[in-house]
Amino acid sequence: MKTRSAPDLPVPPAPVTPPPRAAGLLRLGRTVAVPVDTRAVLVSVALLVLLAVAAVATLTLGRLGIPLRDLPSALFGEPRGMDKLILDRLRGPRLVTGIGAGAAFGVAGALFQSVTRNPLGSPDVIGLSGGAGAGAATVALLAPGFPVSVGALVGAVVAMAVVYLATGTGFGDPGRLVVAGIGVSALTAALTQYVVYAVERDQATVLSSYLNGSLATRDWTDASTIWGLLLVAVPLTLLISRSLTISEMGDELTTALGTDPRRTRTAAVVLSTALAAGAVTVAGPIAFISLTAPQIARRLAPAPGPRIALSALTGATLLVLADLAAQHLPLTDDLPVGIYTMALGGVYLGYLLVREWKKGTL
Amino acid sequence: MTTTVRASARGAAPPRAGALRLTLALVGAALLLLCAAAASVMFGSMSTSPGEVLSVLSGDAEPYLTTVVESRYPRTLLGVLAGVCLAVSGTLMQGVTRNPLADPGLLGVNTGAAAGVVTASAFLGASGSASAMWWALPGALLAGVLVHVIGFSGASSSAVRLVLAGAVLTAVLTAYIQAVTLSRPKIFDNYRYWVVGALGGRDFDVLWSVLPFAVAGLLVALLIAPALNALALGDESATSLGANPAVTRALGWGSATVLAAAATAAAGPIAFVGLAVPHVVRGLIGTDHRGQIALSVLVGPVLLLTADVIGRVLLRPQELMVGVVTAFVGAPALLFTLRRMKHSL
Repeated sequence: MKTRSAPDLPVPPAPVTPPPRAAGLLRLGRTVAVPVDTRAVLVSVALLVLLAVAAVATLTLGRLGIPLRDLPSALFGEPRGMDKLILDRLRGPRLVTGIGAGAAFGVAGALFQSVTRNPLGSPDVIGLSGGAGAGAATVALLAPGFPVSVGALVGAVVAMAVVYLATGTGFGDPGRLVVAGIGVSALTAALTQYVVYAVERDQATVLSSYLNGSLATRDWTDASTIWGLLLVAVPLTLLISRSLTISEMGDELTTALGTDPRRTRTAAVVLSTALAAGAVTVAGPIAFISLTAPQIARRLAPAPGPRIALSALTGATLLVLADLAAQHLPLTDDLPVGIYTMALGGVYLGYLLVREWKKGTL
Repeated sequence: MTTTVRASARGAAPPRAGALRLTLALVGAALLLLCAAAASVMFGSMSTSPGEVLSVLSGDAEPYLTTVVESRYPRTLLGVLAGVCLAVSGTLMQGVTRNPLADPGLLGVNTGAAAGVVTASAFLGASGSASAMWWALPGALLAGVLVHVIGFSGASSSAVRLVLAGAVLTAVLTAYIQAVTLSRPKIFDNYRYWVVGALGGRDFDVLWSVLPFAVAGLLVALLIAPALNALALGDESATSLGANPAVTRALGWGSATVLAAAATAAAGPIAFVGLAVPHVVRGLIGTDHRGQIALSVLVGPVLLLTADVIGRVLLRPQELMVGVVTAFVGAPALLFTLRRMKHSL
């Protein structure tokens, strides 16, 4: 006779990760001592170097690239002729927009994953990107000539609101969040595909390219849009990041420590939505950067709380590398970068799921 | 005495009152299906009256009217076929996985079929919708196996897992499909209509090429229905009742995949029909899988034909493809159910 399994006991909460091992203190005189996570600093420097290499490669590689020896003079001096065209019109804005959008996606993902306490709580999985795409498509169909980016923004916000309402429990329950996100994604995908069918063929190709997320043909307006948003949002994000770290430990403890967990979470969701929507606005719904960047950042330098700066750097590096691949891989001509990130990110998400399941945490 | 024993050996036998209920539900659904089919023949960019349709059927209508009405026959039959396939596929998937969120669309099987079709037309020069089935099938099978492997690896299991595995698969396959279609403008042009899920603009060829697969899938579904009932009681009870859980699951999942491939080859990837029908059917007649599958055969086409007719009349003279309509009805329904669910997923 088999013993019956024990009745459902309350699951003990996951052990709280210890606070960051501040590996060193940065001392300024005798009064100021800033804790410094040496590993995080080292990782950041490495990422910056990688990003710089990718950026130089973006500007120099290929038939239309600026020759490497001419790059310093083109960047810091007075670029002329072809170099000026490449720097000002073709690759320059593309690169700057890519760095900004990647950083914005990364920070948005870090915030969302921190709020939902769930590695899957990223804007892609919960329907924000789908909403942005549907918004852009709707604008393209109903008001041709009107900037599609505004439609993307509205669509992203509406999708988030619908997901929030549909879960019934806010963003708290990962399972509900994911199912609601999939529902919203299905809805927005149907709408988007209908629009792609309904518009003219040439317009449909352009729209379809944008809807996959593309950095081709960006201009300085796009670049300044996303960098303006980053300048406003990232400092605010850093301000709440401490409260977010505390609120990851659970609502009761947070309240006991004197922080209002609901207010922190609301602020984080608003900032995250703004950043993700902004990135979608300039670059289209590029898939999975916001899911993977914070994950990679956490692995590179483990610590509790959202790793804002590291996630931003990782996101920017990932996107610039993916865009480099999109420009130079000999598969086909200049496919939208979102196709590459979708394929790679999908595989990564699969790996993540299987791993979480093996641990039994989902 | 003997009858009860034999019935329970085949699985959970429905009580006597259930039989009456099933009969009533079947008759009601059959009537609804007749109405839906009639509406599908009557309405379109040009609407006709019942009398006019009857006159076409009896063969003494004017030629123009005859052409209009007869052009709607393939579409209606295709709707019936795709509806049957999607509904039974969903019922099987939910029965095999005991997962109320299983649906060939959400689990990525339809996208797998779509990827197969796109591959064939892009790289192998396949053209014409009649051959689509031969490419949809391997795509769907591959996707079905993959989602099963991802979804059932590891220790624990939950309703969300399979759906997430489906979402992953859908993402990767969609990237592939987009890459192929965007770099080949001609295929993109054909694909963007088909991918929404539509019944219009097809001919009888598609129907004939898909029919054998649909029938085969349906037969397997009916054959394993008693074993599915046993499976619902848990693996151990199923084994003691003489069912082989592993074989039942493999057959159920396999025929669900074939049916999903048939529907996709015929009408493009359509989501939510396979999700909704089993819920409706369970609400009507309860948990007996034999009854569920029989009733799904009728309810699926009712749902799909109704959605198609709505799509035709809503934006007249343009039309909304049936996949858009099902998504716009199905997704809010899913969200609403989610909101009302009490327990955690």
